[in-house]
Amino acid sequence: MDLSIELAGIHLRSPIVLASGTAGYAYEYDGIIDFSYVGAVIIKTVTMEPRSGHPEPRIWEVTAGVLNSIGLENIGIDALLSDVVPHVSNLDVPVIASIAAETAKGFARLASRIEEAGVFCALELNISCPNVERGGLEFGVDPKATSAVVSAVRENTSIPVFPKLSSAVTNIREIAEAAYIGGASGLSLINTIPGLAVDVASRRARLGGITGGLSGPAIKPIALKAVWDCYQATGLPIIGGGGVYDVQDVLEFMICGARAVSVGTATFQDPQGAGEIVEALPSCLEELGVDSPSRLVGTLET
Amino acid sequence: MKKSSSERIEKRITSSVYVGDGTLRNRIDVSSRYFILEVEIKNPRASCPLPGQFFTIECGGGKEHLLRRPFAVHSIVEWSKEYAVIQFLVEEVGWGTRRLRNIMPGDKIGILGPLGRGFKFFQGNHLLVSGGIGVAPLHFAACYLEERKIDYTFVAGFKSSRSCYSGLEKLEGNVLVFTDDGSAGKKGFASSGAVSAFEQAEYVAVLACGPEPMMREVFQMSSSAGIACQVSLAERMACGVGACRGCVRRGKNRNLCVCKEGPVFDGTDVW
Ligand SMILES: Cc1cc2nc3c(=O)[nH]c(=O)nc-3n(C[C@H](O)[C@H](O)[C@H](O)COP(=O)(O)OP(=O)(O)OC[C@H]3O[C@@H](n4cnc5c(N)ncnc54)[C@H](O)[C@@H]3O)c2cc1C
Ligand SMILES: Cc1cc2nc3c(=O)[nH]c(=O)nc-3n(C[C@H](O)[C@H](O)[C@H](O)COP(=O)(O)O)c2cc1C
Ligand code: FES
Repeated sequence: MDLSIELAGIHLRSPIVLASGTAGYAYEYDGIIDFSYVGAVIIKTVTMEPRSGHPEPRIWEVTAGVLNSIGLENIGIDALLSDVVPHVSNLDVPVIASIAAETAKGFARLASRIEEAGVFCALELNISCPNVERGGLEFGVDPKATSAVVSAVRENTSIPVFPKLSSAVTNIREIAEAAYIGGASGLSLINTIPGLAVDVASRRARLGGITGGLSGPAIKPIALKAVWDCYQATGLPIIGGGGVYDVQDVLEFMICGARAVSVGTATFQDPQGAGEIVEALPSCLEELGVDSPSRLVGTLET
Repeated sequence: MKKSSSERIEKRITSSVYVGDGTLRNRIDVSSRYFILEVEIKNPRASCPLPGQFFTIECGGGKEHLLRRPFAVHSIVEWSKEYAVIQFLVEEVGWGTRRLRNIMPGDKIGILGPLGRGFKFFQGNHLLVSGGIGVAPLHFAACYLEERKIDYTFVAGFKSSRSCYSGLEKLEGNVLVFTDDGSAGKKGFASSGAVSAFEQAEYVAVLACGPEPMMREVFQMSSSAGIACQVSLAERMACGVGACRGCVRRGKNRNLCVCKEGPVFDGTDVW
């Protein structure tokens, strides 16, 4: 079965993508992950200046999930373009860049530099990171700010733009509509959900950043609802994810309206998990009586 | 149920890292808290692990416990491109290590490695200082030195005789065991053992692994003696390959990525 999909004008050989921040700049996993199964890799969010991130510990395992407070540590756009781009162009997989900035203008400037590099097939706008004080969720919770960021980027770039939304908002439909009005080519969701873990003996937070972002199977039902809401509200192509672990999860996301599905935290347990999902997809789709992944998108019976 | 994928992706493995299943060949309880996992790997292809390098092990947590656990190589029984047997020395401290203690010979376990950068060795006398489970990678270092006929003194500290690791008795070098309560070896901390080791001989290098305050003390001792000290750090990890930045901690002047740039660092990079 042909598993390829069209996603806002980009052609992906399979609907499975690797989520930002969980696959680094892709080349760290070269020789460990078989990229030939993967539709695209979304690389770690990059900012204008390098960021050193939060103090350790940055990772805490919780029931069916992981809390992280990386704090958007990244090498900055200059190092990305000089050091990472040469590796990226050697990989046999489309790469989507992810950017974050503190102002709409900052997003726009980063977007044009990403496009100039010529190796990224699309752009994710991280307006939903719970681990930064400024320029993260600040945008993602506010429809006006969302729309301003998206349109500023839109004016400066021609590659497809996917704002990445958070489910930690009062009404995600409003945010999705604002992104649509701003000119989004599609949507990506969900980012991690703000969370906290406590060590009773010391009465300290488990993470150096105190609070963190929750990912993994624990957040899947929340993510499914968010995808369904955004699909209904906008009809935009959606990269859906949050807690995806196996092929069953992928089918659920597609039924709720995701055209592509991201695998994040699950990669930590099994770097080859995304590949296994892709291998299992054809027979699962056949069982459901559809001859391509896109036929399943948004078919939730209500 | 997820199926094993080691064969499918085998053709693609070009790097020096093995990813896939290993088979538990043997599990040996060595004290009430420590046990050895002997794992067999078919077609590892990867290069032979070096002392200080580690593997991440999938403890069978499914969706509930998502993360692999990192373990240093404790010894290499056999290693070729076609077949390998390695040992991990594990201390039972929580869910994952308890689970590992309960797997049966013949069971498959997902492993990934060797990862990270290990110890550097020199010609001349080495001082190895371990606290608790820090003995695991330093045991491998001691075997490595023995094979190369390089001298060493090994100071190993444990809480008590109950947690002591008896495997050290098989080493041929100068091994000094200390326990906090004096129930085995001499009474005292590994760091006080290191003080007397410094008085008795000269060293070209110091290697330390254990609780951070101990490593820091050993580093300070080495510095005042003018000897370079390498320490093996532990941080919580998610990916193990440098992709997620989860294991990154602050060093003296910069961030240190423990899984990729480490786990072994020069003490001067840390403090
Ligand atoms: C590079 C490296 C090499 C290691 N080598 C060995 C080894 O050879 N043998 C061995 O027994 N252990 C080793 N460890 C520590 C081992 O990874 C942890 O003990 C293990 O992950 C605990 O898992 P758990 O599910 O049993 O415990 P959890 O329930 O996750 O935690 C129980 C306790 O273990 C501590 N812990 C958890 N993860 C770590 C960690 N990564 N580092 C330090 N403490 C941790 C927690 O703080 C907690 O107090 C190593 C760690 C690193 C980073
Ligand atoms: C360690 C870690 C780092 C992450 N870093 C980023 C990031 O830099 N940018 C981003 O947009 N999302 C980041 N995410 C969020 C993931 O891309 C994903 O949206 C989220 O983890 C939910 O999916 P999952 O449950 O499959 O992991 C990160 C997640 C984790 C666990
Ligand atoms: S554990 Fe992911 S970067 Fe080290």
